[in-house]
Amino acid sequence: MTDRYGFNRRRFLQGSAAVAGGLMLPASLLSACGDDNVSGSALTLARPDRPVTLPTAVNPIAGGLSHEGGTLQILNWVDYLNPDTIARFEELYGVKTAVTTYDTEEIALNKLRSGAFQPDLIIGLTDSVLPRLVAADLLQPLNKSYLSNFNNVIAGLRDPYYDVGAQYTVPYIIYSTGIGYRADMDVDTSYFDSGNGWDILWDPAYSGRLGILDSYRDVIGSVLHRNGEDINTGDQKVLDAVLEDLREMAAATNPKIDILAYTEVPAGTRAVNQCWSGDMLLGVWYLPEDVDWNVLSYWQPDDMVTGNDFFCIPTKSARPVLAHEFTNFFLDVDNALENFGWTGYQPALEALPASTLIEWEYVPPNLENALITPEQYAAGKRAVALEPEVDNRWTDVWAAFNAG
Amino acid sequence: MRKNEGQWLWGLLAAPGTIWLLLLFALPFYGLACVAFGEIDPIFRNAVAAWNPLEWRFENFGEVMGEILTGSLRRVFVRTFGYVLAAVVLSFLIGYPVAYYLARHAGRWRGLLLALMILPFWVNYLMRMLAWVNLLQVDGWATKAFSAFGFQYNFLDGKGITVILGLVYGYVPFLVLPLYASLERLDVRLLEAARDLGASPGHAFRMVTVPLSRPGMMAAGVIIALPMFGDYYTNDMLSRSPATEMIGNQVDFYLNGTTQPQKGAVLVLVLSAMLVVFMAYYLVTTMRMQRELQT
Repeated sequence: MTDRYGFNRRRFLQGSAAVAGGLMLPASLLSACGDDNVSGSALTLARPDRPVTLPTAVNPIAGGLSHEGGTLQILNWVDYLNPDTIARFEELYGVKTAVTTYDTEEIALNKLRSGAFQPDLIIGLTDSVLPRLVAADLLQPLNKSYLSNFNNVIAGLRDPYYDVGAQYTVPYIIYSTGIGYRADMDVDTSYFDSGNGWDILWDPAYSGRLGILDSYRDVIGSVLHRNGEDINTGDQKVLDAVLEDLREMAAATNPKIDILAYTEVPAGTRAVNQCWSGDMLLGVWYLPEDVDWNVLSYWQPDDMVTGNDFFCIPTKSARPVLAHEFTNFFLDVDNALENFGWTGYQPALEALPASTLIEWEYVPPNLENALITPEQYAAGKRAVALEPEVDNRWTDVWAAFNAG
Repeated sequence: MRKNEGQWLWGLLAAPGTIWLLLLFALPFYGLACVAFGEIDPIFRNAVAAWNPLEWRFENFGEVMGEILTGSLRRVFVRTFGYVLAAVVLSFLIGYPVAYYLARHAGRWRGLLLALMILPFWVNYLMRMLAWVNLLQVDGWATKAFSAFGFQYNFLDGKGITVILGLVYGYVPFLVLPLYASLERLDVRLLEAARDLGASPGHAFRMVTVPLSRPGMMAAGVIIALPMFGDYYTNDMLSRSPATEMIGNQVDFYLNGTTQPQKGAVLVLVLSAMLVVFMAYYLVTTMRMQRELQT
């Protein structure tokens, strides 16, 4: 776990990536220019009520092979794996691992398409890029004979709507989007009792003490949810209304836009922050020593917006067997628990119910609602992959909001 | 014959710089234009560059220009220019006296003071900004020190002044060094002549030192202003609020966070075109000043 009072590595790495991004701006553009061929047809995007079986152009690797050894190259978000759990994997298999990070899924997709980096395993992508990865033959189907722990995955994700049969993906983390707050910082909890806790984001009482996620998908989705609209809408009028709402929010509370709720709320620099459920679970470790861990709280709507990300293996993986073994290792309950203790993000495993995590003091009792039960996941709303033109409308709204 | 050989030699000496410019400026810039005026792959949603100018499409350019002239991007451009102007002026107010002291009065301590001034900047820019975040946060030392004097102010809740001060802090050494070089070369006899002719120290400074250091001021101003226009991480670290969004933040968002990189490329082109105007002004003014100084 990151030192509670020490240097914030995630923030530094984010900043480093920001500068690196600035320096490499022409490179990212040139990589974007690498493929002059325009694809001909559109993709079928999966919906919970319209599951998609992804095509398979290649066969999975054969079963019963020994792992390749060497160094497993992993592409992952920053701070999204417990180094201690990785170290145990390395010791057990006699291999090394190297983690390269990405900032956005689009960057990860471009890295893979350009061939600039060829990882053996990718962690943390979502269904928004999955159809494109498969269409570009960038992923290989999995051989489940290496995934003996696959049945530990929660039932609702063993056969996900975005990848029927889980041919290419194995769920890693589940989360919901809600609001984290410090109960000891004069927060009006009647907002949360009323059922539409999103309203607190417009309360000027929290000006200068409030943050929202740096994620257009989550912020616009939450405003749509607050307004009782479809959280995947492409209706321009509805999105225009969202922009007006967001501008009202900016005028009322001048929110900070980042993904630092897990440090800022515990530290008390923010009283209220839109966040992912895992932020508050992780935030427990960032509380000052003299603050009771029960002050961290989380609200999510009853019809919560849930999501998940997954493991997947690139077609050009040089160590596909080892990548399978690594994935299977993190599906083991004990390993997943250890990993959860560091990352704070809830494993998508059936065998880790909220009661166990609380009983074993991984989670304080007042954050029980930040844990998602398989039933809640099954009943929750899904922020699905958007059609390109709809996605453009969303990003334009976000850019206009950020323009101030 | 010998004259031709000389010309050939000078041309050869210029070749590395020319190749450098072609490979690392002209070619990438053309690539940028090809992305800006290209299209988007309907499946992979990445930019597809239109290498043939005859195939360039200007819809995105028109859309972005419309946003700049009448839409939300106008606020971003005005804000960015305001921040950069304020930061440059503040940098001069801080940097000129420092450079002047170093050049004229530091004596044998000059080298040491220069080194000390540059020393903090051996530390990574991001680390220094993170240090400021720690100092300025609610329980940070700087905030506590301000509070001790009865000054309560949250610098980190999306304030433009914080971004401006961050820009000044980040770039002021790059202003001091060229200014110092300019002032250090200043012919002291001209100042002595002014004093001999009855000018007060202040008058001599205004009538001799300032005009003679103007080329250095122009160069220093350009050196810090150009990167400030494209800066986005200072704002990201010290504010990250819609109230302080700069052009660089919008470029970063469109290039790295969306499937509309061509809009980011258009923004870069527009910003570059504006900066070319500034550069042209700088070049013309500098040449004019040099002519005036020679006559």
